[in-house]
Amino acid sequence: MKQILNILRKDLRRFWREIAASLALLATYSWNDVRGWSGDQNSGVGYDIIGALFAQRFLSGLVAALLPVAWAFLIVRVVQGEALVGDRQFWVTRPYEWKKLLVAKALFVVLTINLPLLLADFLLLAKAGFPPTHYIAGLLWMQLLLSLFLILPMATLATVTASVVQTILAILGVALYGIGVGAVASVIPSSSFSGPVGSIEATLLIATCVVVIFWQYARRKTAAARWLIAALALVADLLLVATPYNAIVSREFPRLGPGEPPPVYLSPLPADPSSEAGVFGKEIMIQTPLRPSRMAENSIVIVSGVKVSLEAPDGLRWNSGWVSPGTKFFSDQTNLSPGSFMRTGITFTLKRSFFEQVKSEPVKARISLALTEYRIENRREFVIPPGEFLMPDVGICSAETTYPTDMEIHCRAPLRRPTSTLIAADLSATTCPAQAGESRDAPQNVREWLQNSDSGPADLGISPVKTFDLYLSEYRVYGARNIHTGICPGTRLVIGNPVAVRRIGTELEINSLRLADYRIPYDGTSEFGIVLR
Amino acid sequence: MSAIRTENLVKKFRRVEAVNGLNLDVPEGAVYALVGPNGAGKTTAIKILMNIFRPTSGRAEVLGVEAARIAGRAFTSIGYVSENQELPEWMRVGALLEYLRPFYPSWDRALEDELIRQFDLPRDRKLGDLSRGMRMKAALASALAYHPKLIVLDEPFTGLDPLVRDELIQGLLERVEESTILVSSHDLAEIESFASHVGYLEEGRLRFSEELTRLVERFREVQVTFDGTPCLPEKAPENWMQMNSAAAVVRFIESRFEPERTRAEIRGVFGEVRDVTFSPMTLREIFLAMAKAGRNA
Repeated sequence: MKQILNILRKDLRRFWREIAASLALLATYSWNDVRGWSGDQNSGVGYDIIGALFAQRFLSGLVAALLPVAWAFLIVRVVQGEALVGDRQFWVTRPYEWKKLLVAKALFVVLTINLPLLLADFLLLAKAGFPPTHYIAGLLWMQLLLSLFLILPMATLATVTASVVQTILAILGVALYGIGVGAVASVIPSSSFSGPVGSIEATLLIATCVVVIFWQYARRKTAAARWLIAALALVADLLLVATPYNAIVSREFPRLGPGEPPPVYLSPLPADPSSEAGVFGKEIMIQTPLRPSRMAENSIVIVSGVKVSLEAPDGLRWNSGWVSPGTKFFSDQTNLSPGSFMRTGITFTLKRSFFEQVKSEPVKARISLALTEYRIENRREFVIPPGEFLMPDVGICSAETTYPTDMEIHCRAPLRRPTSTLIAADLSATTCPAQAGESRDAPQNVREWLQNSDSGPADLGISPVKTFDLYLSEYRVYGARNIHTGICPGTRLVIGNPVAVRRIGTELEINSLRLADYRIPYDGTSEFGIVLR
Repeated sequence: MSAIRTENLVKKFRRVEAVNGLNLDVPEGAVYALVGPNGAGKTTAIKILMNIFRPTSGRAEVLGVEAARIAGRAFTSIGYVSENQELPEWMRVGALLEYLRPFYPSWDRALEDELIRQFDLPRDRKLGDLSRGMRMKAALASALAYHPKLIVLDEPFTGLDPLVRDELIQGLLERVEESTILVSSHDLAEIESFASHVGYLEEGRLRFSEELTRLVERFREVQVTFDGTPCLPEKAPENWMQMNSAAAVVRFIESRFEPERTRAEIRGVFGEVRDVTFSPMTLREIFLAMAKAGRNA
């Protein structure tokens, strides 16, 4: 213990400037965070100058970006205070015990990064109106996430590099690798489908970091440690290439049982005769129109995955691979009155060479869909009160909007964004004053679905106060006017909690599809419905 | 008892063999000077002994512990100072000593003060602001203040002015009774003044290793004077080095000098000669002779 404290004291004394800089940035970040959600824009000493500067989004963003950089710098400096790379370091021939050295460095990080952040998080929660003592587990979880995904990787790079400059070069190398992987992923079919690969890679990353750090402190085998990191990069590449995406989709989205109704019926529609082919580039955009219908009441369907396969009569084939478009269908949108129906479509791009070969032939299209069905539970009404209010399953919100330009409800929640909360409103019943020429006869439904797929008690981030806006407004054209309608205090909302009830795989076959009839302008504006990217 | 012992120690850096089958034996209590030309493998050998490098093959033991296991507490008995060591230059001399104190159970505050006085070290100056000589003295003070059983010095005198060298040597000499000292150096004149043993390393191999007094005894510069122009032998004995002749004189270096045996050998090679003189050699002269002989070979 004596040795640990001795090293720790030395590091605290040596890096006081770096510590002071990171604490100053944390204080500034916290002050700015409070300003962001409290609406208390004019408080504080010297607001005139500092407040005006921070009104600029650039400066707020800069502080948020600089704080992790300052932490990263501090981690690199303290680890390299007793550098593990090289053979000339003074400390390697002194009676340092590697376990104690490692503990001293870890303690330093806890004292100068984790603890101040935890304290700041306590204060931020309290200031935001959430009693911090109710969220201790979540606050500790945030610390764990920060440690695993910032501190650990930075410490790992610091243990295999000899100087800050080398570490920066290593970070640039990692960034280049990331860009390379992104480029490779873009040409691998199905690689964008969000399967379990991400969590496997995260686990491998953490395990490799832990092994490298311990290995370096125990043995200082830098070359081997660097090879281990390179091996991790290689394994990540292999995972990307070799993941059996089709098998994963089949397992996670089993086929419909006999007689089991699909969560949504998707029926092919004839090509839109008004579609214009536009100017062709190297790729051709195709859109097959579909009509979604017959969804269960109070249900939502998310298109979690889609794959389009084309087969021409002469045997020529094309396959999009699995893509996650995330398109949502709401039952009240699809179950419309007789005579009207919702129109959606599947948009995908083909190489021009392939298109030219098959454009006039009747191709067979097989559309495989991975669908997640949600049932909206716990529906209840909520009337927006004036001022700040607590919205159930959402957080503390404020609808003090500057109608009609600013229509958002500004909310803040402790530790994490809501797991699954659907907020809907009928704008025809809004309490906002009617504008000239505005008609509120027909129902006008708007909704916001707050979703958070992370299952932990807190989201990764610096601030424990998660802010988000609810956009419950819409523009409508009334003759020559474009009127923005939204919600105001007194407007009735319907809040519900969509719960995933089943995941199924289904297929849709369209025979004799003449692709030339389904091409659409490649201008980005034609993307609607289920877009494959 | 040996303080340091190596057996067939080999260290390769890719294809380069820096240490090639080194068998070193440093007796306890010795002041062992490891000498040799640049690139001979002295620093590599020392770094293996200090567990900074791992050997490719062979064994090394330091104070009875396998070198590859020397870490942590084992360094409480070892003081290591190297010319190319990176010291914490941001620290002041006093802070360095204060920081190191708790690492060593045998740290001697009185000795620390004495070393500071002896080396004339300013406690409040940063190591980075000190001259090279002062930094070496600070490093040495920090390596002596805990009475290490073994002091390992890698080229400690390189680039230092004579006064600083003298101070360092003086500091070392005062520790001779309690420590074994291994010192690698080019500064043969300085080493000669305090080394008890000397080892000559060349191309990673130990060419000889013995007590300094014996070494100096067995090396002589020999001058043989003839009545006429001598005829140089086609094959001289192996222990004769750098033989050359000028007029009626032949000179060479005898590396196994024993008065009677050497005289007999000279008679055997040259027959009757007018005069033979034997001049003692300094360690520097011996080192140069060995280095030249090695290069010619």
